[in-house]
This record gives sequence, structure tokens and C-alpha cells, in this order.
Amino acid sequence: MPPLLKKKKKKKKRKRQRKEMRSGDIQVLDGGNASRLLHSVDAFVFDCDGVIWKGNELIDGVSDTLHLLRSQGKKLVFVTNNSTKSRTQYASKFLSLGISVSQDEIFSSSFAAAMYLKSVQYPPDKKVYVVGGEGILEELHLAGFTAFGGPEDAHKTIQLKENPFFHHDNDVGAVVVGLDPYINFYKLQYATLCIRENPGCLFVATNRDAVGHMTNLQEWPGAGCMVAAVCGSTQKEPIVVGKPSTFMMDFLLKKFRIDTSRMCMVGDRLDTDILFGQSAGCKTLLVLSGVTTLSILQDSANNILPDYYTDKVSDLLQLLGP
Amino acid sequence: MLSSSSRAFISVAPNSLSKTLISSNFVAKPRNLSSFSRQFFHLITLKCNSNRNHNHRKMASSVSTRASAQQLKNPDELIDSVETFIFDCDGVIWKGDSLIDGVPETLDMLRSKGKRLVFVTNNSTKSRKQYGKKFESLGLSVNEEEIFASSFAAAAYLKSIDFPKEKKVYVIGEDGILKELELAGYQHIGGPEDGDKKIELKPGFLMEHDESVGAVVVGFDRYFNYYKVQYGTLCIRENPGCLFIATNRDAVTHLTDAQEWAGGGSMVSALVGSTQQEPLVVGKPSTFMMDYVAKEFGISKSQICMVGDRLDTDILFGQNGGCKTLLVLSGVTNMEMLQSPNNSIQPDFYTSKISDFLSLKAATV
Repeated sequence: MPPLLKKKKKKKKRKRQRKEMRSGDIQVLDGGNASRLLHSVDAFVFDCDGVIWKGNELIDGVSDTLHLLRSQGKKLVFVTNNSTKSRTQYASKFLSLGISVSQDEIFSSSFAAAMYLKSVQYPPDKKVYVVGGEGILEELHLAGFTAFGGPEDAHKTIQLKENPFFHHDNDVGAVVVGLDPYINFYKLQYATLCIRENPGCLFVATNRDAVGHMTNLQEWPGAGCMVAAVCGSTQKEPIVVGKPSTFMMDFLLKKFRIDTSRMCMVGDRLDTDILFGQSAGCKTLLVLSGVTTLSILQDSANNILPDYYTDKVSDLLQLLGP
Repeated sequence: MLSSSSRAFISVAPNSLSKTLISSNFVAKPRNLSSFSRQFFHLITLKCNSNRNHNHRKMASSVSTRASAQQLKNPDELIDSVETFIFDCDGVIWKGDSLIDGVPETLDMLRSKGKRLVFVTNNSTKSRKQYGKKFESLGLSVNEEEIFASSFAAAAYLKSIDFPKEKKVYVIGEDGILKELELAGYQHIGGPEDGDKKIELKPGFLMEHDESVGAVVVGFDRYFNYYKVQYGTLCIRENPGCLFIATNRDAVTHLTDAQEWAGGGSMVSALVGSTQQEPLVVGKPSTFMMDYVAKEFGISKSQICMVGDRLDTDILFGQNGGCKTLLVLSGVTNMEMLQSPNNSIQPDFYTSKISDFLSLKAATV
């Protein structure tokens, strides 16, 4: 009689699993992790509003902190969703605040809009209508496009008494919408007619930030307001070129050839800056000097967790200082 | 597409005040080039509203399986089956300032048959009284009490929730809203006069806002500007419990009969963009005005026929209310749009204009 074959039940030894840290646990920046952060990255990508400045006022200690980072051989890049200025104009703003930054280190959403049109080979014989500031117009002109609208339409009104017909240019093949403190019915109507009636007309948004620190004392409606207004009348969604869309990051990476794991994104906004950094695989540092407060960060409704947070950029200087 | 971290819930209140209410907490936006689809939410709103029970037809699991609209061949049958006609105005009665052919005779005929006539418009630029004058100037005899503009609806809504008289209302909109609020006894600030106010985004500039504002009402506004957006945004974000009310969300409107113009939906969406909050909509397709009319006149909704030129406001309004619906092609909608595979809103009937009630009748005699 053959012996009964017994199945050997091997008890698998299980390794005791270490209790996994909740993914994305945020750490407040301190002497230890600041130093580790500095040594683990080759480039810092900074948002501007609420991080470097508030309105036209430099946030304390920023200048010295940037100086320190440069002296440590770190690449500095500035990525801003604020489309009111061109890169050249931003470089001038930095200079006026005592910081020397080259325009090649600046990526504004105004520049992104022009680069996007270039990337889709937008025909130079077509025009672009702009609901936004001078920055967008300048970047479009620099890229070789015929753009109009912008600030000069700020004073245009519509008189209905004479029962007018509102004309729009049939050669407009793209409408670019960004932050526009001179938003009015004329511009909304012009953009609406172009998008609804010119076949294939593109609807490009520089960004969709709801609010921003346009002045140092309070928040003001952002481009998200103007973009939503045009969505409301056209019932179309735009192509967004600014954060958190990865368009600017892809552009940046191509230009600087740095691994995103060796980059740290520093911003004040969870749903644009931090998400932008996370999507690309960068380390992320939230500063509380802008629109996000600690309670917003810690709110159970918030699902965007940066790697680190701190009060302001100059904390890096304090923590890494001599 | 919705990211898993964004949260949205949709509720349609079961009480007599119907709300198109969406609350969504956006903390994440998707990383792809095209931004989060708010149109997705808009569709949810419409589908949610159109999923309510209609006792006179079967509801399939999806809205798009509703039976196709029938061309109106026998107007008498429709006329005899209802007791009240609710008419939209722009594109049905008039276009801009011109009366559409055959309207006076048609309305007279309906009245002579004992039908109640009600006029419901999303256009908030005029008050009921001002609309009464417009009807009069076009040779139509219509009583003020038969007119329900979304400007009136905003004031009626505040009354229905006992909005405290000591609170103020900030208005982003035109004269009609101001007049209706006054008639209802509410204090208002804003309106057309804020159209001249300028902003200077410079250091030290702080915009103050009145902390006693308890509601912001937003409608079509030709004097729309950044000052108003900021004022409305501050009230909604910073005054505890401040209501955000929209007269309507029409994308485009026929200000003149020659072309379309950006509509109230544009101004309302601007405030949604800056506050990241959704408004309570009192105009079509929300059934607030339908419920109000039914209550006011003691009419049963199955005895009403809604006549309009717009699918996503007029027809949906009628369907949400459980009424019969007749689409006229004298306004913004044409046959192509009605029959498009992208359109899921099918009225019971369609015809070219309301005077077909008379001409088709004549043809069948």
C-alpha cells in the first residue's frame, strides 16, 4: 500500500508588515528635513504671487533665500499663472524688487498661451482675440501672432438704443482668456461670437485660479472668473495651459533637462502649485504666506498633501543658515 | 473627468420650492490639458431635473429614450386638453422689440376659449410692470399679474424663505431686479450704478463690503465689471450664510432680433468661477416659477402646456413640472438642433410658431 501522499502545508512565514505611513504625510519643514531637501534637489520651481511677492510687495527674506539657493548651485525657475505680464515685464518686476532673474527663468501663463499656439502650429494668417492683459498680447506678438483685444477693449460699451449689429472678425481662430480686471460685456460678447460662430475657433485659458492676491491686502477674483464667464456663454470647456495643467512643466523639462525627482515645487496653492508639482513627480513645499492657511491644509475635505509645509520661503534660509 | 478627490452631491428638494442645487468641493483638478468639465455638472443638473416623475409618460432608465417630438397637426386636441398656457416671451411672443406674426390673434383665440395665459421669462432686465408696458406697446393686452420674470422670481424666492428685511441684497444685474426687490420690501445695493465704479489694483487698496449683505442676486448685466465681481465674491465668501442666487443661467439671449448675445449664464458663471460655489437658480429650468404659478392660480400642473423656443430652459422647465410641452421654431431652436443626436430633450410637440394654432385649425376645417 503506497503511503498516502500528504500535502505539506507550508506555512508561509509572513514578514511582519511595517505599518505603512499614510501616503503623502505632510511634514513641517525643520532643520533636519530642510537640509535633506536641499541636498536631494537640483532645482527649485517657485510660484510668484503669495510666495515671492504679494501684489507689488516683496515677502520678507525672499531675496536672501534665493541668493542662498543660487550660491548652493541650485537652478531657480519661476512659474506663475498670472498672465497680466509678459516674461520681460516679470523680469523687470523682479529687478524693481531687488532680485536679479533672467527672463529665461520665468514661465508665465501668458508665455504658455503663446507656446501652446506654436505647439499646435496655429496658422500665422489667423488672428487671436484676447480677453486679458498686456502680458498675453505681448507674448503673442513676440511669437509672431496677430493678436488684438486686451486692455484697449476695456472702454468699449454697447448701446442698444440704435439696435446695433455686433460685428466680430471672422479670421479669429483662437480666443485666449486670462485674468482681466477690465472685463466687460463687450469682451464677453466678442469672445462668445468668435467661439460660437468661427468654425474650429480654439478656446484657450491661461489658468483657472478662482482668486489671487492681486494686492497685498486681500484676495481678488482670478482668471477662473473670466474663463468661467466665457464657458457660461459658449457652453464649451477651454484648453488650460497654466498650472495644474502639465503643459508648462513639459515645456520646462524639455528646456532644462532636469529629472523631476530632483526638483522641488514651492507654492501657496494646493489645487494649482502643489498638484502641478505632484503630477510631474516633483517634491512639493507649501508656503502659508499666500492663499492657503494651515486650517485649509488640515481640513478633512482637502486631499492634496504636499511633502512639506512652512510659513514662508525665508524659513529655508533660517533653517539652513550658517 | 471627475478626479476621485473631488466631491459633489446633487439634491432636488422635494418641497414646493424646487432647487437646482449642486454643491461641489473642488480641491483637485485633473492634470490634463483640458480643465475639469463643468459642463459635466451642467448636464447632471439637467438630467437630474429631467428625471423627475411624469405621470403621463414612462421614464426609461436614461433621458434620451423619451419619445421623439411630434409635429403639431391637431391644435384643438392640445388646446382642449389643458386649461392654462405658459408662454416664454423672447422667440415666442416677440423677437427683440418686434412682435412675431399672428401672436395677438392667437392669444385672443385662446382667451376666448377660456384658457388662462401666463408669461414666464428668464429675462431679468425688466420688472413685471415694465414687461406689462412692453406688451401694451406691442398691442397685446396682458395683465401684470400674468407675467413672471426671473427678476420677480428672485424677490419671490427671498419672500418664500422669509429673508430678513434688515439684511441687504447685493445685485449684479439690471433695473428689473432692483424694482422687484423694492416692491417686495428689500433693501438693495449695487445694480447698474456700480457699472461706473473702477478698481485700482495698487498697494494699500482695500475694497470694503457691507457685512449686512445676506444675499447676492446675479442676472444678465450689460454693465458687468470687475468691481461687481469682487463685491459679490467678498459677500458670498465672507458674510456668514450669504445666499448666492441666480435669476437664470441662459448661455445666450436675443437682446436684438438679429443675433445672439452672451446671456445671464455668463455673469453667473463668473461668480461661480471666483467663489467656487453654485447658486440657487430661480429661473427656468428650475421649477420655482412653475410651483409659484400653480400655487398662485390654484392650477394642477397636468393642466398646463408650456410653450417655448429653448430646449434646455423652456421645455425642460415644462417637463420638470410635469406639464405638456410645445416647442416653437420661431426662436433660438431649429429642426436640426431638435433632431440632433446630441439633443436628449424632446418636447411633446413642435411647430413653427404659435399662430399655427390658428392656421392649422383653419386647414383642418
